[in-house]
Amino acid sequence: MRFTDFTPYDIILLAQGLGVTVALFLVTSVIGAVIGAALAIVRYYRIPGLVQLITFVTEILKNSPVLVQLFLVFFGLPAFFHVNVTPNVAATMTLSLNTAAFIYVIAVSGIEAIGRDQIEAARVFGLTRWQVLRHVIAPQAMAFAIGPLTALLVNQLQVTSLISVIGVVDLTKIGDILNLRTLKPFIVWTVVGLTYYVCAKLVAWLGGLAEIRLRAHSAWKGL
Amino acid sequence: MGIDLSFIAPELGYLGQGALLTLEVCVYAVIGSLIMGALVALARTSASRALRVIAYVYVDLFRNVPFIVQLFFFYYGLPVIGIYLDAFPTGVLALSIAGGAFASDVIRSGILAIDTGILEAAEVSGLSRRVIFMKIVLPIALRTSIRPLGSVFINLVLTSSILSTITLNELTGSARIVVSDTFRPFEVYVVLLVVYAALTYLISIAISLLHRRLNRDLGGAVS
Repeated sequence: MRFTDFTPYDIILLAQGLGVTVALFLVTSVIGAVIGAALAIVRYYRIPGLVQLITFVTEILKNSPVLVQLFLVFFGLPAFFHVNVTPNVAATMTLSLNTAAFIYVIAVSGIEAIGRDQIEAARVFGLTRWQVLRHVIAPQAMAFAIGPLTALLVNQLQVTSLISVIGVVDLTKIGDILNLRTLKPFIVWTVVGLTYYVCAKLVAWLGGLAEIRLRAHSAWKGL
Repeated sequence: MGIDLSFIAPELGYLGQGALLTLEVCVYAVIGSLIMGALVALARTSASRALRVIAYVYVDLFRNVPFIVQLFFFYYGLPVIGIYLDAFPTGVLALSIAGGAFASDVIRSGILAIDTGILEAAEVSGLSRRVIFMKIVLPIALRTSIRPLGSVFINLVLTSSILSTITLNELTGSARIVVSDTFRPFEVYVVLLVVYAALTYLISIAISLLHRRLNRDLGGAVS
């Protein structure tokens, strides 16, 4: 006999799925931000050869479907290098690198948005390239980058739903499981969709708050 | 352990069929999302408050819910209300609706960028509202926003890979089948990654050419 009704336990299932989604989103965003910022710094120091390689790899990552990247890591790496890759590891790796590629572009344009005169003035005062980056460029670049960054994070939250295809039990996978058991697709997918929607709005709201905070130095203070 | 791609030669025909299906889906989806985007942009810039709110809710909802959830909603949901569609039309429908939400934002900003003097001149000339929209507003909005529309379409091509999860054997779907035939996931997915990157690169070149051709009389004002 099939048990096709919704039970209170389904809410716990959904919460578990949401937890996996949010955790993976947070972890991959942080790793992606670190890698992306590091790549942007490599570009800032104009290390020859490396810059072209980074541009090539990030372009490939940005211009191919995340689903194919996931398949490459989850099915390809174990077959080619004979290593063991669990769905969670594959998902973390792929999403981190994908986020890093996009954050690299945002960080680079943030750094390049700062006027040359400021950098030259700081250099004249005897600051090293690193000090210029740390004290002159970074604070302003963050204020420039936070808007695109928020948009990117909202997008990456939705991209996490793809990891359900390689078997990570995230919110979408829970939706899939509930859908197959109850055969009530409208209710299940509406609930799952609205949960994602609320999360995305939350990310956008937090991004808005961060933007106000980072732009405080240039805000209109009144006369 | 080098990469040997000779095994893929006999499978090229099959992959080609998949690529054709991807192309077919994307052509329909681009047309669908253009129509959808134009209609929704019209509603969002209309004088009626109710229309604006409805259009805003649509765009907000479909931009903030993952595509795979939307796809499952349609694929599993439509048969419940008695609409039996194959994977192909379902995929085109879902892509058009999701793409329409993104395209409408682009077209809307194109509409808002139109000089109000042009619209006033058209009204004074006694043109009907339909003629003004079809012959004046839409052509101007579409040609100035062709570049951002291009990135929406590139995203559409990448998103179409998700249709492989609803049994549509487009490029990604056929690659999965090739993998299960040859047991060479790494090589196949690397090739697939490069193919998608090349495909989107070609589209971006085509969009640039189209952009230059459509805006040739603006004398470099829009570059």
